[in-house]
Amino acid sequence: MNAYDEGPNARHGPGTPAEPGQPAKPGQPAEPGSPAEPGPPLESGPDAGPRTGVAALSLRYRIVVAVALAVVAVGVCAHLGMTFLHVAPANTVTKEHGKAVDDWIYPEFEQNWKLFAPNPLQQNISIQVRAQVRGRDGMTLTTGWYDLSAEDGRAIDGNLLPSHTQQNELRRAWDFFVATHDGENRPVGLRGSLSESYLRRIAVLRLDRDDAVRATTGGGGVIERVQVRSRTSNVPAPEWSREKVSTTPSYRELPWWKVPRDEAAGGVR
Amino acid sequence: MNRCSLAVSRGIARVTEAALGPYQTAVVRIGFSATWLLFLLRELPHRHELYGPDGPWSWDLAEQLIRTNGAFTTLMWSDGRIWFEIVYALAVLASALLMLGWRTRTMSVLFMVGVLSLQNRSVFMGDGGDNVLHLMSIYLVFTRCAQVWSLDARRASRARAARARGERVTDRTGPVLWGVLGFVLVAVTLAGRLEGDWLIPALLWTVWAAQALWWLVGRRARSAEPRILLDVVANVVHNGALLVIMAEACLIYATAGWYKIQGSRWQDGTAVYYPLHLEYFSPWPALAGLLSASGTLVMLVTYGTVLVQVAFPFTLFNRRVKNVLLAVMITEHAVIAVVLGLPFFSLAMIAADAVFLPTTFLRRLGGWAARARDRLLSRARRRSPVPEQRAHESPETTHVGFGT
Repeated sequence: MNAYDEGPNARHGPGTPAEPGQPAKPGQPAEPGSPAEPGPPLESGPDAGPRTGVAALSLRYRIVVAVALAVVAVGVCAHLGMTFLHVAPANTVTKEHGKAVDDWIYPEFEQNWKLFAPNPLQQNISIQVRAQVRGRDGMTLTTGWYDLSAEDGRAIDGNLLPSHTQQNELRRAWDFFVATHDGENRPVGLRGSLSESYLRRIAVLRLDRDDAVRATTGGGGVIERVQVRSRTSNVPAPEWSREKVSTTPSYRELPWWKVPRDEAAGGVR
Repeated sequence: MNRCSLAVSRGIARVTEAALGPYQTAVVRIGFSATWLLFLLRELPHRHELYGPDGPWSWDLAEQLIRTNGAFTTLMWSDGRIWFEIVYALAVLASALLMLGWRTRTMSVLFMVGVLSLQNRSVFMGDGGDNVLHLMSIYLVFTRCAQVWSLDARRASRARAARARGERVTDRTGPVLWGVLGFVLVAVTLAGRLEGDWLIPALLWTVWAAQALWWLVGRRARSAEPRILLDVVANVVHNGALLVIMAEACLIYATAGWYKIQGSRWQDGTAVYYPLHLEYFSPWPALAGLLSASGTLVMLVTYGTVLVQVAFPFTLFNRRVKNVLLAVMITEHAVIAVVLGLPFFSLAMIAADAVFLPTTFLRRLGGWAARARDRLLSRARRRSPVPEQRAHESPETTHVGFGT
């Protein structure tokens, strides 16, 4: 409870009386039926009688308070302990009780605070896509590569409020794909196949926005297959550093994916 | 031994007597609800792509994933377009009302439902900012975060004044709101839509039942004791949640800091250079170039970032050092908002930081806000004959929280 006692205390700046339990202004917090409690209350009597707090309670009620206090204390400690174990590196305790920690944390308390850590990403990963298009005349044509990440980058440039669709959607879809596929691009489990559908749908949506079909066939047509590849290039070393890094990009090319008929129109309008 | 038990009893008195940190919890409430509100408004044109049934992360894909993890989202109750629009609109409304502090406990629950519904629907759209919001929206439900700077506080003080004049005050909105939401809760439960993870449904039912109990005790109880008991329990729960919010903020900084220490780039002092040169985090390439032009400067910022993040939790034991670090962190987040193009992440982090702001500062902030508001109002009413009086005539609102 140490941190607790210190915490709120520390927040009272100099000059503010920080007597325990004494609200900053009379009549503000913590009166029965007080402002904090919205909804039905506020029908409380005009006068709460003797001042609030445990002192005004008889033994029976004090026992209830003690139980409540114990329940909250145990709950808070358990939650903080579990959260700590969830964000800490794998260790003796999590190896033993990892299942219990996961049961507590997932799905709603999942968190990841390795922000730019242990190392910040030092590569630009561009996701590029091309498609096979069947034109009205029945001919199948292949579009050029569309660099979707570069499009995102341009949309973010000079933007004070980048959208999640520009900054997170494709980037995280690719992370999801990589995390759920092996080195030969084979999906691992259900999440693997979900990530493929997701990436495919993003690719079709974006090709549709770029009007790729018309640009290729010169008229109408339908996307039959798409192919995604990633282009990874190192961020060049800073000018002031003596480090040398190769900036030659490397590619990871995924197999062609068939686009289901109902999806070919691009989904989101 | 004696001193120890004295300290324990003093501690118990403190956590039962009052809901601590009224200004801090209010600023956290306003900060997170405003962040989410602004985010939802900004993404209005992109809402279908992010969370809609036909977005790239389609309803079917979400359905398959959620069947495996049981996350709570009202958006899986129907794959209809109209349902989606209703949920989005209610999420906007709930965050606006929570920000204003209207029926705060109820709105905090609806705010949480809105946040979880949208975020759990499309988990791969979020970033660290969404993650903080997700957690805090749950924690806020347990707090009495409308003691100051809220419509609830104003209403309560007016009700008190009316009762002092001997008038009868009846609240109709509360019971109606409770009844409507209860009806929805019962219907949804009977329809079997709450069959995922048990946590959030249990929380919804608990809050709903607790509000009924609160109302009943306020009306019917013969003695004051049941009412005081509920008040004490609400204080204890609030104080526990406040501790969790503060600890969560510390965990965020500790994790971010300690993992960085292990990274070679944070060790050689070049780490800050790299995000500035990533396509996805460089809205102002010229500015990024300028900031990373000096290797020494980059190293100082790199080391400084790690230092501040690792040190912050420990500085809570010293008020002055804590306040200095807090100012540094809030400034750094404000810079990140622009330079890395992460405005909503930064806003969320600043809202979390705000739980550690000193009360004196927050009250001064409230005073400025109140004066700015009064000036605006009096300017708007300058043409009417009584503007001056009106501006000075609001001691009641001043009492409620924008006080100096």
